[in-house]
Amino acid sequence: MKPWTRYLYMIWLIVSKDIQVEWRGKQGVPVMLVFALLIVFLFNFALQLSPELQAGLAAGLLWVSLMFASTLGLNRSISLEVENKALDGLLLAPMDRSAIFFGKSLSNLFFTFMVALVLLPVFSLLYDQNMLHLNLLLVIFLGVSAFTSLGTLLAALSIQTRTRDVLLPVLLYPLALPILIASVEASRGILSGQSKFELQSWLFLLLAGNFLFYAAGILFYGTILEE
Amino acid sequence: MTKQPKVLGILDILLLILVPASLVWIIFFTPMEAVMGNVQKVFYYHVAAAWAGMLCFILAALAGAAYLHARRLQWDWLSLSAIEVGVVFSLCAIFSGMIWARPIWNTWWVWDPRLTTTTIMVLIYLAYFILRSGLTTPEVQARLGSVYAIIGVLTVPLTFFSIRLFRTIHPVVIATGSTGESAFNMSPRMLVALFISLSVFTLLMADLVWHRYRLAKLQSNNRKR
Repeated sequence: MKPWTRYLYMIWLIVSKDIQVEWRGKQGVPVMLVFALLIVFLFNFALQLSPELQAGLAAGLLWVSLMFASTLGLNRSISLEVENKALDGLLLAPMDRSAIFFGKSLSNLFFTFMVALVLLPVFSLLYDQNMLHLNLLLVIFLGVSAFTSLGTLLAALSIQTRTRDVLLPVLLYPLALPILIASVEASRGILSGQSKFELQSWLFLLLAGNFLFYAAGILFYGTILEE
Repeated sequence: MTKQPKVLGILDILLLILVPASLVWIIFFTPMEAVMGNVQKVFYYHVAAAWAGMLCFILAALAGAAYLHARRLQWDWLSLSAIEVGVVFSLCAIFSGMIWARPIWNTWWVWDPRLTTTTIMVLIYLAYFILRSGLTTPEVQARLGSVYAIIGVLTVPLTFFSIRLFRTIHPVVIATGSTGESAFNMSPRMLVALFISLSVFTLLMADLVWHRYRLAKLQSNNRKR
């Protein structure tokens, strides 16, 4: 195999391993999903949302619940590896450490995107507006991709601390702020029928975030996990 | 016990004169702003503190990169020192902004993108301290701290760009003009005073970071013994 195809194959191996673990155990995605739904209903009570208010807030609520749920998945993804010293095995495998980063963040992206796919019809029902736009799916894909790539990187940091996974949200949320802003604004724009031209700058911001965080992953993932 | 370098001592004395001098300059030698009056003079320290804070965070990331490259703990001491001083300066910028906002916007705090993102930036670096305190050896602290300091600075331009897309109540000092933001119209004498306070704060920042760096060095020597 050429080095390049070998690299992609390694990434695919890690993604398929994570999906297989999830498929057999079914411990991650269902928890994320129920958690996301709980947040939506809790917010409804905590903020005493009137029906008119709710429609405008749907985009924001969608993203907050997605990000909270995604954090659960991110923590689980790395702690599964650490628990039985599976991480040592991964690190021993003859491949570049950045392949582990790509594999992990892509599987995290996949799981969170699954949650989003279930959430969207539920949101459409609850907030009485059709949220199944192709453009919205694109925004969700880009936003979740940036968020999970940054999260995968930071989860590898936080798992090494004494508090372990407790630290991840504190590290992740302030750094993910530009992604949250851009995702919410772009989603709100799509739901209120703005043209693509008006959303351009938010989409550009999401792309820039993706580029930046994946680049940081390639550069630093090996450094973070070195012994 | 290592002796304090001479240059640092001179810098200390220089700042003991310069900081009060800049204050006198701002109070007596700057023009009164037409609408806001005296309270506008907070501006000179407010901007200078924000500037010094930003400079610290960039310095911390550069020192972090240098650590990852050379693996010498000295770079990590510099990175940590810069972040500590940077957090203090950023908090000064936020609080001086609040003092300014109270009479002008009639509230201590507004949920404006500019204010909120600055505060969240401080939270990024508070998380940095929590991260370090959860790690055991100086080497791991240095390695992971450096990575986090670099990623922290990388997201700042993203945040900066994202708030430019919002309409904000906060005045913009470096205005592009094309977007029609409410830029500050500064008279030449105001610019001179701003330049003075920026210079003084940059020196003050260098001085404080240097002192903090020496403290880190002494702590490390102490641990070895």
